[in-house]
Amino acid sequence: MTRSFIRSPLMTFVFWLVLSFMTLFPVWWMFLVSVRQRVDLFGTPSFLLDVSRMTWGNYQAVLSNPTFQKYMINSLIVSTSNAVLVSVLGLLAAYAMSRYKLVGKDNIFFWVLTNRMAPPAVFLLPLFLMFTLWFRVGDWSLFDTRLGLVLLYCVFNLPFAFWLLQGIVDGIPRELDEAAYVDGASTFTVLTTIIFPLAKPGLAVTAILTWVFAWNEYLFASTLTSVDARTITTGLAEFVTVTGTNWGQLAAVAMLTLLPAALVLALVQRHIVAGLTFGAVKG
Amino acid sequence: MIKRLLATTLVSLVIAQPAMADFWSDAAADLKGETIRGVSESTPPSNYVRDVLAPAFTEATGIKVEFETTSWDQMYDKAIKDMEANSGIYDFVYIEQDIIYSYLARDFLVDLSEALANKPELKSADFSFDDFTTFIDNFRNENGDVFGVPMEAFIKVYLYRKDLFENPKEQAAFKEKYGYDLAPAKNFEQYRDIAEFFTRPGDQLWGTTVQAASGHPASFYEFFESIAPTYGVYNWGINLDAGAASVENGGQMNSELAKQALAYWVSLLDFAPPEATASTWDEVASTFAAGRAAQGWVYGENAAWIATNPEKSTVVGKVGVTLPPMNDGVMADAEAGKGYIGYYDGGAFGIPYSSKRKDAALLWLEYIGQPSVQADWALAGSRVVHQATYDDPKVLAQDAKADGYFTLMKEKGYLFKGAPEYPFHAQVREAVAPFIYEAIIGQLSADEALDKAAAAADAELKQLGYSKK
Amino acid sequence: MRNSTTGWLLIAPTLFILFITGLLPFLYVLVVSFFDWNTFAVNPDPHFSGVENFRRLVFDEAFLYSIWLTLKFTFFVVTSQLVIGFGLAKLLSRNVPFKGVFRTIHTLPLMVAPIAVGATWRLLTIPGLGPIPHFLQKWFDVSYILSRFPDQAFITVVLMDIWHWTPLVTLTLLAGLSNLPREPIEQARIDGAREWQIFWDIILPFMKPVLLTTVFIRLMDALRTVDEVWMLTGGGPGAETRFIGLHIWRVVFPKTDYGYGSAMSLLALYMTIVICWLLYVAMTGMKDNKQ
Repeated sequence: MTRSFIRSPLMTFVFWLVLSFMTLFPVWWMFLVSVRQRVDLFGTPSFLLDVSRMTWGNYQAVLSNPTFQKYMINSLIVSTSNAVLVSVLGLLAAYAMSRYKLVGKDNIFFWVLTNRMAPPAVFLLPLFLMFTLWFRVGDWSLFDTRLGLVLLYCVFNLPFAFWLLQGIVDGIPRELDEAAYVDGASTFTVLTTIIFPLAKPGLAVTAILTWVFAWNEYLFASTLTSVDARTITTGLAEFVTVTGTNWGQLAAVAMLTLLPAALVLALVQRHIVAGLTFGAVKG
Repeated sequence: MIKRLLATTLVSLVIAQPAMADFWSDAAADLKGETIRGVSESTPPSNYVRDVLAPAFTEATGIKVEFETTSWDQMYDKAIKDMEANSGIYDFVYIEQDIIYSYLARDFLVDLSEALANKPELKSADFSFDDFTTFIDNFRNENGDVFGVPMEAFIKVYLYRKDLFENPKEQAAFKEKYGYDLAPAKNFEQYRDIAEFFTRPGDQLWGTTVQAASGHPASFYEFFESIAPTYGVYNWGINLDAGAASVENGGQMNSELAKQALAYWVSLLDFAPPEATASTWDEVASTFAAGRAAQGWVYGENAAWIATNPEKSTVVGKVGVTLPPMNDGVMADAEAGKGYIGYYDGGAFGIPYSSKRKDAALLWLEYIGQPSVQADWALAGSRVVHQATYDDPKVLAQDAKADGYFTLMKEKGYLFKGAPEYPFHAQVREAVAPFIYEAIIGQLSADEALDKAAAAADAELKQLGYSKK
Repeated sequence: MRNSTTGWLLIAPTLFILFITGLLPFLYVLVVSFFDWNTFAVNPDPHFSGVENFRRLVFDEAFLYSIWLTLKFTFFVVTSQLVIGFGLAKLLSRNVPFKGVFRTIHTLPLMVAPIAVGATWRLLTIPGLGPIPHFLQKWFDVSYILSRFPDQAFITVVLMDIWHWTPLVTLTLLAGLSNLPREPIEQARIDGAREWQIFWDIILPFMKPVLLTTVFIRLMDALRTVDEVWMLTGGGPGAETRFIGLHIWRVVFPKTDYGYGSAMSLLALYMTIVICWLLYVAMTGMKDNKQ
């Protein structure tokens, strides 16, 4: 009896309800801090919203700030371009790995993955030199450009996309493209008419997750951009370390950073699971 | 608020100085349309530069100013990388007083005295290095040439809650308990007594702030730049001639006096609010502004807003400002120029050698160093770098509200001193700070912490090649 | 198998970008690791010092301690996330009212930038402002000060990571579970197998690729965690949450000790590769035994 009670839909529901509260709690608190007046922050913490003393001042301050708007736009452009780029390149590479006999395949695969393993801090030095000096044409360099970030984010997103997509491409029956080739289709046709449509759910998940990783990246962006290409996470860090205790605005920025990502998530979440078919490391 | 300031500044610049407007546009005739870029920590004074002075300068000269404001750590990383790699990203950089010696040692910066002498057509009649307070001397080399135009300067003062200290009930209770009158502490025993007396966690009030972040260099700074000197251990206890910190190698870092100082400072945590071990300069200020501490060492840039800005502070009108407590003999040392009683902090803007727009940057630095922009800037950021600013009516009015902070700085500023002249500032700080953190959380005793710290400093100095042994 | 030239052409852009953004910096770091180079040394130019940097590392207590902390942290977070994530994935594969809503809520933390995660948890834990210290004190008389008590800091950092990254594990495992073949499980039930036997003999082997991939991703990312910890504790109190990524950052950036920092990074990278490889071998080995 106990067992079936625990396993009943009601208990599962209650369990999820509790868990959701726990998950949401930090975000709710952040929201509270963002709409409270500075003088109300200290003292006995309350989890309830006192509507009469609520203020949107922090959001107004942040949103009316042209710098912040620019950061937001940069973030959107950089993460979207990067997600599209790595999904496409990752699909091509995954297809190559899945269908062609390439010398040293396993080593290539593992090497690609190691790019995600490196502790990022020390690589900032060569990356800085690369961005400012090595790839420089006249007055133009990669430093402080969105293009630079889009390319750089490949270092952690491309291995991920490659890996995810390889499982997906492997799952597409080989006979389909072989049949097409027999009918005289080119590689390009096979990729666009057979592989791409079948890999769509997987591509969507890849794009979403890499988008999130790019959107969330901080360390590279903070070092390799200056004014023009700064992203929202660097803006967030500025709010913290700089104004130190301007908690309200910090929370407002954090909430605003979360919103676009959360929206995307809510829209697509049912597709995520369908597209996540890891299988590359089959062992 | 910023917009209003902007408007008034613009108006005052245009109306009051028609002659100046001519100089700026003439001098910038060939530089119009250039864009200079700088990096600075986002503090109230540099925000004022970005929001008010930069647009006014663009108006006057046609030169655009781009500002990257970032965090304190990041600012150094990026400026140093830029200058080291010679990549020419920044045309002006913020130089805090404590890093200038590192930059000078590496010839990272343009000699401003020389640059102005070589290009008289770029020299504004209104700009003179002589207008500045003695703080500018921090940015001179041994020949007296200037490498940075000061933009902010403060002293780290002793703040106390006037309302509590002057409350007759408190005074009577204090006298009964300790046998002497309640007044701002002159020495460390009094400071401890007062801290103990006002520690009332039930009322959300504690005896003192302590800038004891247990994972951030702020704690290193409070100990070595405020506490150790007032105990009589100067310049981090490092002996520059020997290139060493430990007593056995000729330094002072782990001397008995230094150990006493650290033990004392850590013991203050008993009377500090729980956030003390997470407090950098910002949190200390916000603790004090929230009325959670009765006294504390607070950076001057925060003293003014704590005392005057009701939007951010709950203790407006209740703040007293005075000199910090100290051991016997320290004041005599300071008067004689042999020591100092606290931290004279601040920063300047300089031009990296790698800059490709040095002329435009030079004009810009002159612009922010003019006498006419100083007073409003002082109000916005409670910083003073010109001697004349102290006598400006607006600053005098602010001074009265801030319990004489500016007067204290003007009259007693000479007793304070910036960070020691070490080109290895950040390197030794990084080597030593972890032991201070461990002392704060009690993993090491004060004695052990400083012994290890001194050994680590010695090793670092040796590694870097500064050790003379 | 088709003409491999086309294959190489298809994979070329990926390799090219990774050569530039990954290999080139790696080679630079490799070279620098054999040099003594600090911007503010008496001799600020890089000078060759052989394996001196690596020799120093072996005796560097702070470095070794940060490696140990990182391993401990990684072990705790990855195992907890696997267990919790698996449990939640099982639950989510059942029918519950509002399943979609719950799934969205559960996935929400994944969308928060690590730097914002750190900021959020800081808001929760600052004494005087945050509710956690306040109510722990009030209800349990526990003095909770992250910046003072190393254990609390470590546990909080672990909890924060679990909060942040369990959703990723849940999602991938959910994907794996939803692809489970039904027949063998049904058959086993009919044959009277116990639940744990089904789990051990059927579900687990089938889930292995997914599990392995999930562990890999979490392992790699946990070993190089920086942003959220930097924001929450700054590596403190003392050096008790100063994980390797953070430690290297302090050595390379504020201390400008490029040569030594490069050597550290290489060792950390090497360690990550070895752990992943061992795991790979162990798990593939497990399968071979079964067959």
